[in-house]
Amino acid sequence: MLEVHALSVTAGDFLLSDVALSVQQSSCHVILGPTGSGKTLLLESVIGLRKPDKGKVLLNGNDITCLPIEKRKLSYVPQDLALFPHMTVRENILYPIRIRGSSQDVQSGMLLELVDSLGIRSILDRRIGNLSGGERQRTALARAVVSGCKHLVLDEPLSALHESLKKELWYLLKDLQRRYDLAILMVTHDLEEAFFLGDTMSIIIDGRLHQQGRKREIYGQPQSMEVARFLGIGNLFPAKIDPPTGNCLSVCCEELGTTLRVSTYRKKSAVTEDNEFVVGIRSEDVLILRPGEVLPNPCNIIEGTVLDVLETGGSFTIVAACGNQSKNMEIALRRPTLNGLSLVRGQSILIHLPEDNLFLFDSYPLRTGT
Amino acid sequence: MSFRRVSIAFSFFTFSLYAVLIASLFYFFRGNTLLETLASERMMFSVRLSIFAATVSTLLSIIIAVPSAFALSRYEFRGRTVVDTILELPMIVSPAALGAMLLIFFNNPAGQWMQEHWTQFVFTSYGIVLAQFVTICGVSTRLIKAAMDEIPIRYEAVARTLGASPARAFLTITLPLSKRGIYAACILSWAKALGEFGATITIAGSMAMKTETLPIAIFMKLSSAEIEGTVVLILILLSIGLGILYHVRLISGRASYA
Repeated sequence: MLEVHALSVTAGDFLLSDVALSVQQSSCHVILGPTGSGKTLLLESVIGLRKPDKGKVLLNGNDITCLPIEKRKLSYVPQDLALFPHMTVRENILYPIRIRGSSQDVQSGMLLELVDSLGIRSILDRRIGNLSGGERQRTALARAVVSGCKHLVLDEPLSALHESLKKELWYLLKDLQRRYDLAILMVTHDLEEAFFLGDTMSIIIDGRLHQQGRKREIYGQPQSMEVARFLGIGNLFPAKIDPPTGNCLSVCCEELGTTLRVSTYRKKSAVTEDNEFVVGIRSEDVLILRPGEVLPNPCNIIEGTVLDVLETGGSFTIVAACGNQSKNMEIALRRPTLNGLSLVRGQSILIHLPEDNLFLFDSYPLRTGT
Repeated sequence: MSFRRVSIAFSFFTFSLYAVLIASLFYFFRGNTLLETLASERMMFSVRLSIFAATVSTLLSIIIAVPSAFALSRYEFRGRTVVDTILELPMIVSPAALGAMLLIFFNNPAGQWMQEHWTQFVFTSYGIVLAQFVTICGVSTRLIKAAMDEIPIRYEAVARTLGASPARAFLTITLPLSKRGIYAACILSWAKALGEFGATITIAGSMAMKTETLPIAIFMKLSSAEIEGTVVLILILLSIGLGILYHVRLISGRASYA
């Protein structure tokens, strides 16, 4: 198991502070965050490229914070892959074995098994400069795995690939992880990649660990506005909270021109003196009621006007004006749902915000950031 | 006229400049003078001494320059900027001044002790190698450092995560990848050493069959107004220098990773 305890590291004016995480054997922990949030800095400190100001890195319970890079037993794949350009694919993959002086038999057996599983047997004698993006990724992964380290540290290794190739490599990476019983610590800013590959996640924003947990928890319960924004929750509206009654809270949302009911477990912070919060909902959780449709519990229904219908691949984003129209609501719909509603610009609609899908956050970032 | 043609025209202008200078030598060229020179033991000694001294000083400078360049390229250490700046010394001080500095050093107690207990540099062939070494060492280091700066540090970092020690990562990754830069440094250093005159004559003098390199021989011939002899020696120096440089460049040009 790889553990990071209260790690702080400085790079120029940037401070990555007090990060703690652990990666269990045979699992993948994803560090997720926007560009410039300190993800790579964290990885570089873990592998020993940077000296942390404080904190510890433990591997299977042993403190490796002060060990030189080559003694840490952590295989590293950087964003640019760092394949050695003066070597062939075979020489690159066998580099760790050559360095450690293992026998030729071990080399051949291990190499063939690995290259077959990665589908790169036919390119073994090619130079690195003659490889495609996908072949380069596979070669880098093969080299990292062949080193025999059970812990892989990956810094956005798939970021340069196009979507279809990226997804193909997700499956390959999962397969490698299971086949070789690997613990993977991986950095990405791609949400889809993070949720596909990660078992657990840490969200780092502006050098601070904002949330950590299993991926379902992260997706279902973002704990701060920053996390919500990073996870793509675009519908965020200032609100004032009323005292809780039963299992629900009532929040008055001026921008939407209505009072909304929110399940109490969605409230992630204490009620402040001015009671100012932000209410948020994912675009895919917002519902548009069909004409004449009646809900059993008719609350959190607001009127809106369709401003635009945007096609985004397999789905559509409806932009609707609600309340005082100072901020628009985004609603994601699948094609069949949209066809059933036949929406056009300027059409009046009824929007339902299910109380179980509403989040409440402290309002500070929204007031200063937008 | 396209930009491509204009830029190529400029490169041909530079070529023409040197080509005219070389061609003008043939106005005073005499075949029998060439034959006499090639048969002259004194001149052949100058040729051998020039090639030998330039090769030895180049090898010595590369041996020192490679690790120095790596340190300057990769590590932060106290006095790094001072070391980096002083590499330019041979470029800001004239060769004669550099030779004078060497001569002054060997007249100091430390220099005198070295000459008494180690070897004699002043007015010997060792002095020639030393003068050339001092002239080219900074340039070699600067050229190799530039080549190493181009190699991403991540290659070494990854090599180390794969089990290589810092020295092994240097030998297996950085050194092969800076091969072309080292070739270039060898070529330019050797060429500069072969043509070195000011520092060499200042510390080693111009003793026939002892410290007379080709550039010094050219100077001596010109001093005694032997234009035809001077032309022949210049042509010999040019043939050796350009011939070797051209072939080394051809060989190093094949070392591509694409």
